[in-house]
Amino acid sequence: MSYPEVLAAPGSRVFTLGNVAIARACIEYGVGVAAGYPGTPSSEIIEAIAFAAKKLGYPYVEWSVNEKVAFEVAYGAAIAGVPSVVAMKHVGLNVAADPLFSSAYTGVEAAFLVVSADDPAMWSSQNEQDNRIYGLHAYVPVFEPAGAQEAREAALEALKFSEEQKHPVILRTVTRVSHTRALHVFGELRKPRLVGSFKRDPSRWALVPANARKRREELIAKWQRFSQLLSSSPLNSAEGPETSKLVVVGAGTGYRYAREALRRLGLLGEVRLIKISTSVPLPREFLAKELVGKEKAVVIEEGEPVVEDQLKLLSFDLGLQLSVAGKRSGHIPLSGELKVEKVAEGIARALGLSPPAREVMRPSISAPPRPPLLCSGCPYRGVFYSLRKVASKMRLKLIYSGDIGCYSLGINPPLSSQDTLVEMGGSLGLGAGFSHVVKDALVVATIGDSTFYHAGLPGLVNAAYNSAPMLVLVLDNGTTAMTGHQPNPSSGENLRGEAKRVSAEEIAKAAGADGITTVRSFSLEEVDKGVAEALREAASGKLHVLVARGPCVLTAMAEAREKGISRPVYTVLEERCKACTICYNLFACPAIVSTQDGKAKIDPRLCTGCGVCAEVCPFEAIVPESKVEKEWREMLLAKP
Amino acid sequence: MQSLNVIVTGVGGQGILTLARIIGEAAAASGLGALVAETHGLSQRGGSVVVHVRLGEAEAPLVPEGEGDLMISMELLEALRYSSYMRRGGEVVTDKLIIKPYGSRPPSAEEIVAELRSMGLNVYAVEAASIAEALGDVRAANVVLLGYAIARTQLGKLLKAESVEALLRRGKGAETNVKAFKLGMSAGKER
Ligand code: SF4
Ligand code: SF4
Repeated sequence: MSYPEVLAAPGSRVFTLGNVAIARACIEYGVGVAAGYPGTPSSEIIEAIAFAAKKLGYPYVEWSVNEKVAFEVAYGAAIAGVPSVVAMKHVGLNVAADPLFSSAYTGVEAAFLVVSADDPAMWSSQNEQDNRIYGLHAYVPVFEPAGAQEAREAALEALKFSEEQKHPVILRTVTRVSHTRALHVFGELRKPRLVGSFKRDPSRWALVPANARKRREELIAKWQRFSQLLSSSPLNSAEGPETSKLVVVGAGTGYRYAREALRRLGLLGEVRLIKISTSVPLPREFLAKELVGKEKAVVIEEGEPVVEDQLKLLSFDLGLQLSVAGKRSGHIPLSGELKVEKVAEGIARALGLSPPAREVMRPSISAPPRPPLLCSGCPYRGVFYSLRKVASKMRLKLIYSGDIGCYSLGINPPLSSQDTLVEMGGSLGLGAGFSHVVKDALVVATIGDSTFYHAGLPGLVNAAYNSAPMLVLVLDNGTTAMTGHQPNPSSGENLRGEAKRVSAEEIAKAAGADGITTVRSFSLEEVDKGVAEALREAASGKLHVLVARGPCVLTAMAEAREKGISRPVYTVLEERCKACTICYNLFACPAIVSTQDGKAKIDPRLCTGCGVCAEVCPFEAIVPESKVEKEWREMLLAKP
Repeated sequence: MQSLNVIVTGVGGQGILTLARIIGEAAAASGLGALVAETHGLSQRGGSVVVHVRLGEAEAPLVPEGEGDLMISMELLEALRYSSYMRRGGEVVTDKLIIKPYGSRPPSAEEIVAELRSMGLNVYAVEAASIAEALGDVRAANVVLLGYAIARTQLGKLLKAESVEALLRRGKGAETNVKAFKLGMSAGKER
């Protein structure tokens, strides 16, 4: 991906994503190390920093194999006095939670920014967790931009605070901050700090119990100081009449919704409106002054009632007679993301006003759902198709223990090959659990390359060590496709250029798998054979690893374009097509549609030229319409 | 200041994010407030995609339901799906295209257009994909619709055709895109 705007001249007005603005803040600050693991909605932060690094020659930037390692890389650099940033999606912080807690105990020597991009409404995630709670739990302050508009400023303030306090800081964004484009005015680039030095001090950096106990006392003292210091943060402010008995508190992006809702209710400038962008710990002194004499507060925030609850505690501690409305009181829905209309209604109800009238028209006919699909030509389609076909021939009942990546899309019919899907790497652990207790079905744990390196390895070693009979299917397309094709240890490159390729087969061998088979995903014949062998082995009580390798068709197409290799388009010979429906009903490439008489037709605009349907068709009715270049086939079928 | 709520929708891969971004950039370049709320990830794999574009003084990124002034849709089923975002009297510029979701029996183009009209929407159904295909690149359908919307709807009061064109000239596939944009504009004027 290309992000030329991240390097726009100081003073430029740049219309860009919140994530790119955060990347710019890191460059402006002079961050020396940036690490992360891709995950929507966070990925563009590291991508944009990497883009800048290519031009500037700094900072050091990497996609790590998972969030925990990424966290540690940046944390280590910050201990060594180099300002650092680590970025991940909300669930990534679960993976990195262990070092997060320790980092608060040890502190750091330079700025250490932990960006957590939360995903309310679960646009691309399995849950709606609010990582501000990690801040409370781990004693790590949380800054959250008031909308995409403030992404750059909040990131800069967070970096500054972290450096001054020698303490990690979480910058919490949400999808509507990270992925909203807004206007930003960029600042000067400070000189980066790229070289650090390690100051030996085990009493600080080595958390054996005796040291940790001391650090714990210091941490508690620090936490109280933070609340005081944040009370004068320029990110927090108040507007509207001080004398009003009513106050609306907007935290993070909630502030934008609150402000627009108040305007819509005709209350902007009539009630006190407080903007909080340092949500954890609550800036108590600042709020204490604001809350005295108020009767009612309404809190608007994205996610859990984190500010609301802290506010109630504060009010209790101060002995105020303040009634607090928000998510706990049911005025603002707990699930999903904020919406202006819901916020306006909630504020109105909380203040005893009638909610503003709205007219929403709903159509009387409805559009059928359109779930996302594997692309036409996706290497995974043939593999899933083969699994179903071969298993049914062998009369095997399968449990598809699924995982996170493009192959998650195999959940949809007709492939229906993801029965469980819980978290990164979960396919192997869950699969082993099934294999020990379910006797009438065989477990197939499917996991993509990036996820395999991310959290699959311990699960695989454990399955071998504890003899879990199952088939582990590693879907290796050489890229982290779902999040935008970031490189990973299977790619042969990293963010800085060529890199070691880490082989899934060698890992499987070292882990102690009973057998390993490799097939090329774009050869259905090979896949069928490999699947049959792997299923036989697994069914006989072995731990068998099947690696299906073939490039993501999108990267293959991009490579072909770059190298000037033309792709074929496939077509259906009408006279040979027997309307068996297999290609569009069972294999279901989105490029293949049915005609009136049930015969198949290929949409040349959607066909990527993968050629798998030609093998699927039992009547040899599908053929390339144009010449199939050798280089194209080699690209698809390379690397056995 | 004038403001406008725009819903941009279609099927993942049709160039919806690009379309929304051009509107936002053109607005920002002419000093108008703009917010463009995208969704990435899952929805881009051939799924349903909706982008919220708010021009003018909006602060929050999402268009409230029932308050969309303009919809630009690259596919009819998606126009139908997000129609509740529109206010009565709102304008809908949509491709006539229907992309059938797997295993479904969707309503016909005529039914959908009639339904949208019965909701009090001003519907302009355009053969954008065909126009773009005739130019040799179906991916330019998004810009055809944009040209149409600027020539025909309220969007033209906020955005100057020249500023959009200038942006297109700087991007990828500039030549085709500018042509597609102009064809869209003239289709919009003709009506
Ligand atoms: S992006 Fe690549 S891996 Fe993902 S569905 Fe498309 S072809 Fe398959
Ligand atoms: S060759 Fe066949 S399977 Fe591959 S993309 Fe084209 S129609 Fe789909």
